[in-house]
Amino acid sequence: MSVAEILFQVLGVTVVASPVVLLASLGAASLLGCRLSEAVIVRLTQASVVCGLLPAVAILVLMLVVGTRHVTVELGHWMEIPQEEFHFRLEFVFDRLSIPFVMLSYLLCGVVAAFTRRYLHREEGFRRFFLLYAIFFAGMVLSSLAGTIETLFLGWELVGLSSALLIAYFHEYQNPVRNGQRVWSVYRIADAAFLVAALTMHHLTGEGDFSVLMGAGPWPEGQAAISPQHALLVGSLLLVAAAGKSALVPFSGWLPRAMEGPTPSSAVFYGSLSVHLGAYLLLRVSPILDASLPLRAAVVVVGLVTAISATSMARVQSDVKGSLAYASLTQVGIIIVEIGLGLRYLALVHIIGHASLRTLQLLRAPSLLRDYHAMENAIGSRLPRRSSGWSRMLPESVRRWGFCFGYERGFMDLMLDNWIVVPFLQLFRGADRLERRWTDWLSREPSRESDRIPLHPESPGRNLV
Amino acid sequence: MSAPTTAVACDSPAGLRHAIEHAAEYLPTQGPITVFVHHNTLHALEDLPFEQAILEGYAMFGCEPYLSEPRYREEFKRGRIRAEDLREVLMADLGDEADRLIGSFGTRYGLRLCMLQYPLPAVPEAELPWVMAQTHALEQFRDDVEPAVREQMLGATRHWVMRDLQTRGQEERSGASAESTAQAVLAELIRESGSDLEAWKENAWRSFLLRFLWTVCRRGVYAAGLPKAEQRSLVRHRDWLLEVTGEDSDRWVNEVLIRFSASFLDQGFAASTIPNREQGFFRSFADLYSRPFAPRPRWMGGLRENLRALLSRPFDPLVSIEQSLDAFGVEPQEREAYLTQSLLALRGWAGMLRQMERHTPWAPQPAPEGTLLEYLAVRLILERYAVGEISRKHFGISELARVRELAAERIHPRPSRLSLEGLTLSVFHLAQVRGWSPEQLVHLSDRQWQQLVREIADFTELERRRILHFAYERQYHHAALDAVAIHCGTIRESQQAHQRQENSEGFARSAFQVVCCIDDREESFRRHLEEVDPKCETFGAAGFYAVAMYYQGAADAHFRPLCPNIITPRHYVREEPIFSAIGASARRSRRRRLLGYLTHHIHSESRTLIGGSITGVLGSLATFPMVARILAPRWAGRLRSSVGELVSPPLSELHLERNDQEPGPSGDALGYRVDEMAGIVVRVLQDIGLTQRLSPLVLFLGHGSSSMNNPHESAYCCGACSGGRGGPNARAFAQMANDPRVRAVVAEGGISIPPEVRFLGGYHDTCNDQVEYYDLDRLPRTHRALFRRIEASINETRARNAHERARRFESVPLQSTPLEALRRVEERAEDLSEARPEYNHATNALCFVGRREWSRGLYLDRRCFLTSYDPSLDDADSSILTRILQAAIPVCAGISLEYYFSTVDNEGYGCGSKLPHNIAALAGVMTGAASDLRPGLSAQMVEIHEPLRILFVVETTPEAMQRIIEENSGIARLVRGGWVRLAVLNPENSELHLFHRGRFEPYQRESYQLPKARSSLEWYRGWREHLDFASIDTPPVVHRGAATGAGVVS
Repeated sequence: MSVAEILFQVLGVTVVASPVVLLASLGAASLLGCRLSEAVIVRLTQASVVCGLLPAVAILVLMLVVGTRHVTVELGHWMEIPQEEFHFRLEFVFDRLSIPFVMLSYLLCGVVAAFTRRYLHREEGFRRFFLLYAIFFAGMVLSSLAGTIETLFLGWELVGLSSALLIAYFHEYQNPVRNGQRVWSVYRIADAAFLVAALTMHHLTGEGDFSVLMGAGPWPEGQAAISPQHALLVGSLLLVAAAGKSALVPFSGWLPRAMEGPTPSSAVFYGSLSVHLGAYLLLRVSPILDASLPLRAAVVVVGLVTAISATSMARVQSDVKGSLAYASLTQVGIIIVEIGLGLRYLALVHIIGHASLRTLQLLRAPSLLRDYHAMENAIGSRLPRRSSGWSRMLPESVRRWGFCFGYERGFMDLMLDNWIVVPFLQLFRGADRLERRWTDWLSREPSRESDRIPLHPESPGRNLV
Repeated sequence: MSAPTTAVACDSPAGLRHAIEHAAEYLPTQGPITVFVHHNTLHALEDLPFEQAILEGYAMFGCEPYLSEPRYREEFKRGRIRAEDLREVLMADLGDEADRLIGSFGTRYGLRLCMLQYPLPAVPEAELPWVMAQTHALEQFRDDVEPAVREQMLGATRHWVMRDLQTRGQEERSGASAESTAQAVLAELIRESGSDLEAWKENAWRSFLLRFLWTVCRRGVYAAGLPKAEQRSLVRHRDWLLEVTGEDSDRWVNEVLIRFSASFLDQGFAASTIPNREQGFFRSFADLYSRPFAPRPRWMGGLRENLRALLSRPFDPLVSIEQSLDAFGVEPQEREAYLTQSLLALRGWAGMLRQMERHTPWAPQPAPEGTLLEYLAVRLILERYAVGEISRKHFGISELARVRELAAERIHPRPSRLSLEGLTLSVFHLAQVRGWSPEQLVHLSDRQWQQLVREIADFTELERRRILHFAYERQYHHAALDAVAIHCGTIRESQQAHQRQENSEGFARSAFQVVCCIDDREESFRRHLEEVDPKCETFGAAGFYAVAMYYQGAADAHFRPLCPNIITPRHYVREEPIFSAIGASARRSRRRRLLGYLTHHIHSESRTLIGGSITGVLGSLATFPMVARILAPRWAGRLRSSVGELVSPPLSELHLERNDQEPGPSGDALGYRVDEMAGIVVRVLQDIGLTQRLSPLVLFLGHGSSSMNNPHESAYCCGACSGGRGGPNARAFAQMANDPRVRAVVAEGGISIPPEVRFLGGYHDTCNDQVEYYDLDRLPRTHRALFRRIEASINETRARNAHERARRFESVPLQSTPLEALRRVEERAEDLSEARPEYNHATNALCFVGRREWSRGLYLDRRCFLTSYDPSLDDADSSILTRILQAAIPVCAGISLEYYFSTVDNEGYGCGSKLPHNIAALAGVMTGAASDLRPGLSAQMVEIHEPLRILFVVETTPEAMQRIIEENSGIARLVRGGWVRLAVLNPENSELHLFHRGRFEPYQRESYQLPKARSSLEWYRGWREHLDFASIDTPPVVHRGAATGAGVVS
């Protein structure tokens, strides 16, 4: 091994390990019941960000110096079944896609952690927040650098878990918990699609390594080594996964509901990093998209529909966080379109720029009144309402329906509820009724003791809505 | 307004309208958050006495009236509530009832005091068996039982067992079931500890005693039975269904109404306005919800057709409400309660609709008339569908009128708060701390037990909290009154001593005088200023300085009122560039406008499709401001303001003098006439008692606050300026008072302002502690040296004030220096991530109305409003005091009560944590993605507040004060109703009279000691919590008396 290679290995491992160590230490502390002080938590988080960001920059510099475009860091073979040609390993890739993305993750996580330090000062859930935040942070870094689909899935799950838990951060209220659960449910659909895609890939190629699947060339020049039909199958599954994670049509309904947590978590999740993870996944597997034209078309259509409906929703939101959520979604839709069209570098630049801008906007969302006041004063009158040019060309009734569409958030939640959730529940409730009837008949008396328990045994205090 | 319990039969439309009007009074009265005015949260119940009103609030809003019992216990434990406070308050509360004997258990007073001092465990019934089985409840005494009591109980029991129980024959025992219980317990213990009772160890005896006690108590309580518990009142169909099925129809209805109300009230945030907004709430709602090709949730089935039918003819909300009530089967006599609860189901939004309909003509999009009625009509229509759906699902019928009846059949009785087991536990603990031995209890009759149980049950948690709260208030109020009396005496003595010594030298004059707002935050500022420069004198007056105006700054788009919100100003004042800078100003204003358009464009376009893509791609640039503002807020703030200077207006002046007859918002109609100005000057100088001995320079400081990322910013500004910044008022006042023509008119009124006296306006930012001065160029050259001295003193004061404030901020180390503290508070004001830029009025508790000399040098811990008033200048009718109190009592009471309610129930009356706040419709904040609008104060604003009713100490006579109370209904309501406490001070002999039950009673001093400190710093350093009163040893105060023309002090 040359000096450069050793350096790459050491630096690479540091980049990956630093958030994991943070998670482990915060997690162990709370498992052992050791109540870390705010200052200690903050210092650990800062150290972790710095220890990860600097090596990432060093790797970038070193790669430019050495002239390589693709570095992999392997953390061992964890399983190998030669007969089945199956193996599983933890592998991390540093290339033109992952380096900017991981640096973005580090930067935004660092900035938002610095913000949170003061914003959540004296807050009862300070430790819980930073623990969940560490889960998210580790998840982002793992999924940005993932070199195999399993590793990506690991990071992806961590992000999803922390996301749902942070939405429900104020767990004494009803709405955050309900919305957190809703987001969690949508994520399950996305995760299921992802998992099936991963299994299919294993089935097709015997391993989950992106390099094998996409050819050996460094991103974005890889060539998918699978047939168009297989690409379509795996690609569609991954598209569903990306749609769930990035709130694309038809899953857009959850995004504004996610604005329940403290402002900084809303900013870093739904303004910037988490919401782009779906797009990142599609970028990562972009060689598959090349392999199948229908798949690319599907990606473009999903992105376009998302962008257009999100912009119509953003126009009618009257609360600042909801409006920013849909504004984010509009851009994510466009990024998906760019990926579908094969404009990968543009998409990457767009992700980075958009994430930074939106984080700033969301972090200062509580300043909205002040900003409006300042703008009104500068202009010297009430702020002009912007009306988009093309909407004026539409007939009145269509425009009104368009308002209704945006106002009802594209009816997406409703349709998911009516067409998926309700039939699903009905199926199981029906089964439950059947079973009850059957057991009642067998025991010749009401067989469910739980039916006799009163609904509110004791009231835990006021319900917070 | 009549008491809320009176039901009005509303079978006529007029009656219905009246009932709704009445119900709407209970809605929050906070307007759009940009103009935040502190007010009594329970303003609608102000006609009731405070104690009743908060219980009414508890019944109506479900909000807590006091802090929780454990909170008061903590305060008791750490000495904030003293045992003597409890005793006094309880004695006064019980009056003649105090000595009533409760069986053989002692007096009612004794029992209640015991229940207050020793917390009886409140264990839920389900948990009780566990407590008895798994804890040492039956093995060990409570920790706080006095050792003597223990010994006595143990001894008595042992004796009794050895004497009676063991030696008595079988035949005797069979009759006394109590003793058979004791035998059973004894037998059990004998199995465990051996039959030789003499060899029993102490813990065996203890165990026997406690188990036996428990058994006896249990038997007694069971024999007595439960006292009647109060019944739940379920009013709305939704309440019944929620109770019975667990499904909340309000969840559906509110979700629709939150989103629609937000869009309807939107003040210009969303790019598209809701269609048909101008046709009113109902029509735009019906239009939106009757659109074709729009899927609707199941529960709304049939709504579309219904709305279409309603749209086709004129809509009368009252008729619709009537129909809904009929459909629900609500009887006329319960309609008012029903409608009230329906309105309160989403009270934030409903309240805002009402405010925007009535009280905000200045808003960009006020709501049309009748909005609230239409809202209620829509709400009831929606409820019909939601309730119908749940009822169909659970009861199989959709006949709304029968829902409550069906639910009543299915309702499970909710376990009462009182349970026999729980009561047993209470008696068991009470017996331990009171030292009732089992022997005593065993022979009680059922009637005696009943008496005891009723006594315990009657002293409910709410009652206990009430007493604890009054004790909590009493401690502080008495400490304050003692401190005032002692301090006042000390000052008087030192004055007399000085007068004797220096009688021949005549009267000294203060070097300069500073007038601040009465705001509690200026208390420390004034105190430090007086410490920095003992030759100065400070005054307090309501911070709008009688200049009630609509004001437009040179860089402002609109006029905004700068005066208390009870006054509607008639005058308009505009800040304009000075004549020679008009050209420069126009250029800068063009630049400003360009920048404004650009910002607005970026702001709004970044949320669109195309514009968003462009800004998105270039968005990486946003990293720089983001990182800078978060990691180095102070530095970024400086950079911003220095760039801002390029576009900010140049030198300016106030357009203050009017030529037209009538005031108006433009041209010559702007401003005041000379005689009006003179009226203002006379009024303020009289109010603060500064009609003589004016120093060469009198500085008037307005105040305000500026912070980042804070939707409640306006609440931090000057309350006397309707949540605006009071700098312009001070500036205007100074300009008026400097005008020779004004002075001539003022002199006619008997106040002569010597020509060398100059007034100067300034502005104090209470968040970053900066002070700026207006119109310095107009200051005569002769006054410059004096100004420099004032400036230096004020700069030192800023740092010291920042330092005292910083002791409250946990993130600032206690050992930092004043300059470091100043830097930290400057940083906080610029910091995006700072949830507590300052603590605002938190901790306010007092208001002193009188001459500063009596409070000067008294350490009041930033908890006191300071209003200057000189009784010696007042006439026989106390007309000056009347006009001061007419403003001061309602304003200070409003602040104090808003803080009180937001603290005792932050979720109910306040707006909860500000961390998830989401600005909606540019009018208020929601919690998270969608919630009711949250009026009130946030948890971060009130976290260090002690909820106390404010205590006014007024320097006047009881008779004068009594007359003012009688003649002013506004003051009478607050004072008589106990919403504020009131005392009057006679400085001649330091005697105080406290207003109690309608009259002034002499106050009995409790303490004659007041700690002394050499400086404020010495008293407060190293401590974050609230501080006691102390006398700060400043050099002797400036002498009072008539001054005859003296030269400028240089």
